Amino acid sequence: MSLRKDIAPPFSRILIANRGEIALRVTRTCRDLGVEVIAVYSDADAHAAHVQAADEAVRLGAAPAGESYLRADRIIEAALATGAEAIHPGYGFLSERASFARAVVEAGLVFIGPPADAIDALGDKLAARRTAAAADVPVVPGTFDPAPIDRADAIDEIAAADAIGFPLLVKAAAGGGGRGMRRVASVSDLPSALVAASNEARAAFGDGAVYLEREVRPARHIEVQLLGDGSGDVIALGERDCSVQRRHQKLVEETPAPGLTTHERRELHGMAVRAARAAGLSNASTAEFLFDRDRRFWFLEVNARSQVEHGVTELVTDLDLVAEQLWIATGRPLSDRARAAAERALAPTRHAIEVRLAAEDPSRDFAPAPGRVGKWAMPAGPGVRVDTAIRPGERVPPEYDPMIAKVMTVAGDRREAIAALRRALDEVEVTGIQTTLPFDRALMRDERFLDDDGEGLSTDWVAEHWDGAADRRRALDVAVIAAARSADIAGRVSLRKDDPPISPWRAAARAAAIDRRPR
Amino acid sequence: MTGSSRSLRIAPGPATAHQDDPTSVVASDESVPPSHIVHDGEISSPGPDGIRSVEVIVDGWRFVLSVEDEARASLRERATRAGAAAGGGGGALEIRAIIPGRIASVAVTPGESVDAGQTLLAVEAMKMQNELRSPRGGTVMRVPAAVGATVEVGDVLVILE
Repeated sequence: MSLRKDIAPPFSRILIANRGEIALRVTRTCRDLGVEVIAVYSDADAHAAHVQAADEAVRLGAAPAGESYLRADRIIEAALATGAEAIHPGYGFLSERASFARAVVEAGLVFIGPPADAIDALGDKLAARRTAAAADVPVVPGTFDPAPIDRADAIDEIAAADAIGFPLLVKAAAGGGGRGMRRVASVSDLPSALVAASNEARAAFGDGAVYLEREVRPARHIEVQLLGDGSGDVIALGERDCSVQRRHQKLVEETPAPGLTTHERRELHGMAVRAARAAGLSNASTAEFLFDRDRRFWFLEVNARSQVEHGVTELVTDLDLVAEQLWIATGRPLSDRARAAAERALAPTRHAIEVRLAAEDPSRDFAPAPGRVGKWAMPAGPGVRVDTAIRPGERVPPEYDPMIAKVMTVAGDRREAIAALRRALDEVEVTGIQTTLPFDRALMRDERFLDDDGEGLSTDWVAEHWDGAADRRRALDVAVIAAARSADIAGRVSLRKDDPPISPWRAAARAAAIDRRPR
Repeated sequence: MTGSSRSLRIAPGPATAHQDDPTSVVASDESVPPSHIVHDGEISSPGPDGIRSVEVIVDGWRFVLSVEDEARASLRERATRAGAAAGGGGGALEIRAIIPGRIASVAVTPGESVDAGQTLLAVEAMKMQNELRSPRGGTVMRVPAAVGATVEVGDVLVILE
C-alpha cells in the first residue's frame, strides 16, 4: 500500500502478463506507485523472482510458452479472478497481439498499451509501410501489397524487383526477428525465395504474406521512443542506436545515437511522431528506422509496446516510462515531465548505454546456452543500473528468451558512459553458464566502436569484426594457468577428458601475469 | 560441499614463467588486455582417476577444465598406449547434445545411410531451432532421441556406424 496520501495510485491492482526481468521491472514501478501486483507463472518459474515479488501469483500451465505465457484465456481469467483492473503485457509473448488487447478490453479490463486497432495496423508490416508512406515518412523502397507466390512466373514481382534493385529482401508481412526473411541476390533466385519465405512465415506467424524491400546496407539501426495519450497527442523521447545485433536481435543499445546533427535528430523525431499519429498510436511504442551511409533515414516498422531497451531512455530523461504508461492507461494526458523530457531530447546532455547479457555462446555464433547459474554477481556504483530477475543458483530455462540481464550505465557523454560500462562489466561474475559477456567486454574496448561520430556502427558489426573463436582461444591459455594454480599442483590441464592435455607452462608463455586478489 | 571461491586478475606485464613456482605465472606483451578471472568453488576433489574438475571464467569465457597430477597423467598415457596397441579403436560414433533443449524433429531412422553435413535432427532451445548435422558419412545405428524429449548436454542423440 502506498504511504503517499496526496496522490491516489493509477490502479489498485494490475496483472503483469510476463516473466523475468520485465515482469520484475514493472512490479517495481507498481510498488513505487502503490499498485498491487498479480504475477503469472509457468511450472518453470514457480519460484522465480517475479513471482516472489508479487502480491499474488497465478499458475498458468506447463513450461512451454504455448501452454503458459501465451494462454490469453487463462491470463484474462486470472485477472478477473484476482480482481485486477488492468493488464500490463511487458514485451514479447502477447504484447503485440491485437486479439489479446481486444479480449482484455472486452473482459472489462484496461490494456496497458496502444489500442488494439493500432496494434493491428502496425503488426502487419505492409499496412505499417502504407500508413507511414501516407504520412510522408520515407519507407524503405519496395512493394506495398502481398507478393503472389503461387504463380510460377510472378511477372509483376519480377518487374517490381527490377525497379527496387538487387540484392533485395523478401520479408514476411507478419514478421519479426528475421524470421520469414530471405536475401535475394538476383532475379533468378526470386521465385524460390518467395515460396521459402512465405512457407517460413506461415509456419512462424500463421500468415504467409510476403513483400519485397530493398536491402539498405550498410546501415545503422536507429529507433525513436514514443509516448502518446488518448487524445492522439504523441511525443518523441529521444532516439536509440541499436546497430550492434546478431540474427536481427539487438545486443547493445545507446541513447542518443552518436554523431547525429541537431537537424537530423529533429527530422528523425518528427518522422516518428508523424508515423505514430497516422497509425492512431497511444501509450508507449517505438518507431524503427535504418540510417544509411548517405545519412538518410528509412522507416522500418513500429513496435507497439514497451521495448527491452527502454531503460537507457529512462536514464537520460529521468522518466519512469512504466509509470507514464500506467497513468496514460487511466486516461490522463501526457505528463508535463514527459513533455519537458521530449523538449530536452532534441539537445541531449547525457548519454546512456546498455548491453543485453544473454545465455549464449559468442564463440559459436551466439548459440543458446541455457543451464543453471552458479555464482551471480551484478555490478553497482555510480551511474549503473541492472535489470535482471536471475539470482545465484537459478536455472535459466531453455523454453524462453536467452536474455538474463540488462547492464546499463549513464554519464555526461558517450566516452564516460562507456568507461563506466567497462568498469561495470568487470564487476560481473557469472559461473555455471556461458554468457555474451566476452563479446560485450571486447566491444567496449574496440576503437572502432568507441569512435564518437558513429561512422563505425552498422548492423554488420558482429559479422565484420567479431571473431569469437579467436577471443576464446586467447582466454583459454589464461584459464589453463588459473586452473593449475587453483588446484595447486604442477600437472596437466585439459578442456575435457577427451581433449589433449595442455601444459600450463606453454600457455604461460603467451598469457599475462596473475595477481591474486583478496578472496 | 560449499567449496572456496576466488577471483584473480591478470595484468599486462613482461613475459616469464617459473616452472617451480606456479603462483607466479607471468607473461606476454602490453597489447594483451588485462584478463578478468573468476573461479567458482567446487574444485572437485580428485575422482578415482585422479582428475579434478575446475571451472574458470576468463574475460567472460567459461571453461570447465580437468586438472591431473603429472605422475598420474604419465601413467594413464602409458596405459592408453598399451590399450591402443592391443587393438580396438574405430567403430561407432556417438553424437551427443551440445546444448540442452527439446527434440523438435528427427530426420533420420536406423539403417539409413547419411552423408557428412546432412541434417540428423533439430533441438529447440530458447525459441530457436538448432539443426544437428552429421560430422561424417555413415549408417545410422540407433536414434535414442525422440521427438518431444528433453535432452541435456552430453546426452547421446544419434549413433553412427
